[in-house]
Amino acid sequence: MDELILNLKREIIEVLNLEEVKPEEIADDAPLFGEGLGLDSIDALELIVLMEKNYGIKLTDPAQGRELFKSIRVLADYIRENRKK
Amino acid sequence: MQKDIYIRAACQISAQPPLSEEWLDAPVRYSEPYVRAMDPDYKRYLEPNVARRLGKLLKRAVLTARRVMEASGVACPDAIITGTGLGCIENTGVFLNALVREGEELLKPTSFMQSTHNTISSLIAIDARCHGYNSTYAHKGISFECALLDGYLQLKAGEASTVLVGAHDEMTPEYFVLLKRAGYLGGAPGGFGGETAVSMMLGRQRAGSLCRLRGVEIAYRPSADEAGRILNGLLQASRCSLDAVDAVMIGTNGHPRNDAVYAEMCPVLFPGKPLLRYKHLFGESYTAPGLGVYAAATVLHRQRIPGHLFVHAPGEAPRNIHNILFYNQFEGKNHSFILLSSCGE
Repeated sequence: MDELILNLKREIIEVLNLEEVKPEEIADDAPLFGEGLGLDSIDALELIVLMEKNYGIKLTDPAQGRELFKSIRVLADYIRENRKK
Repeated sequence: MQKDIYIRAACQISAQPPLSEEWLDAPVRYSEPYVRAMDPDYKRYLEPNVARRLGKLLKRAVLTARRVMEASGVACPDAIITGTGLGCIENTGVFLNALVREGEELLKPTSFMQSTHNTISSLIAIDARCHGYNSTYAHKGISFECALLDGYLQLKAGEASTVLVGAHDEMTPEYFVLLKRAGYLGGAPGGFGGETAVSMMLGRQRAGSLCRLRGVEIAYRPSADEAGRILNGLLQASRCSLDAVDAVMIGTNGHPRNDAVYAEMCPVLFPGKPLLRYKHLFGESYTAPGLGVYAAATVLHRQRIPGHLFVHAPGEAPRNIHNILFYNQFEGKNHSFILLSSCGE
């Protein structure tokens, strides 16, 4: 598994307290919200904080967040291109 | 119009085995000054998507609330009222520490949302999908009694027919240190500092209830004479007499400063009455009186007072337990009287 994707899954599990979920159970292309992990709007806020804290990426446009949080792979690709940490 | 009010069900998570009444026959004893609650395996009771965001206090509150709603057959109470001295102090600590560490930036939304006192009542309401009266009393050592009084009055006034009342407090290591420094807990001699999670359902249905709640009175800094007048008023309004009270449950906790108030008041207010205690089992916390009322209600329901509850060895334990008076005081300032009776009274 891609190292960044694996780290991202671990970080998401930790920050969202997904105790029952293991990194390998999260499909790289599965939707994070609604289906898939079934995250909600509060989780989205947690992910925005995670992006800034761990990767130095500040998201200010909500529409951008909706696009980025489509899946782990989309998120990882964005981090790879824009990370400041 | 007078309407009788009953405690229909009650449930606790504390220093004693959780969700059970094992403390009646096999109480767990403690010698250390600080004891955290015995948590059940929440994975057995709460869905992962419900539990994952919740701190321990909120898990305890949701689980005990669900238990009493199930036991009383009330899916959605008309009112949800919580007493809490400290609220979600653990999450408050997490949030404030992050505030300092991160320079007031990058704060976690979950710990912020769960750092307020009224999160407890509101979360129970969200979990049970109840849109009715929802309130929180955060008045240190009299928080639970205020919540109970509110629930009692809602029922008396006919504003509600079922009320879920809770007493919820957690004790973090940091807060215990502060209470110890203040001389409130952790001294020698002295009982232990503990955690409280009690939910109870109030209602008007007598069948299957634990006991009858006949009255609640609170007072601020009463003299012994004033306290006596308040007590007499409660007994008269309840058509009860001190002679008919079988035992008095009090809040002694082993600390001289706290217990001295009981030593002064009890011989004046309830001369010769058997005195019962509960904080030696459940510990001291701002809302420990919730556990005391729970214990008294359980004793009335079971019609048996275990020997370990007596402050002094009784000459003869009452055979039929009709009425138990609950008396608590906090730092000599806030006093409360609660009269409980068996369902037949």
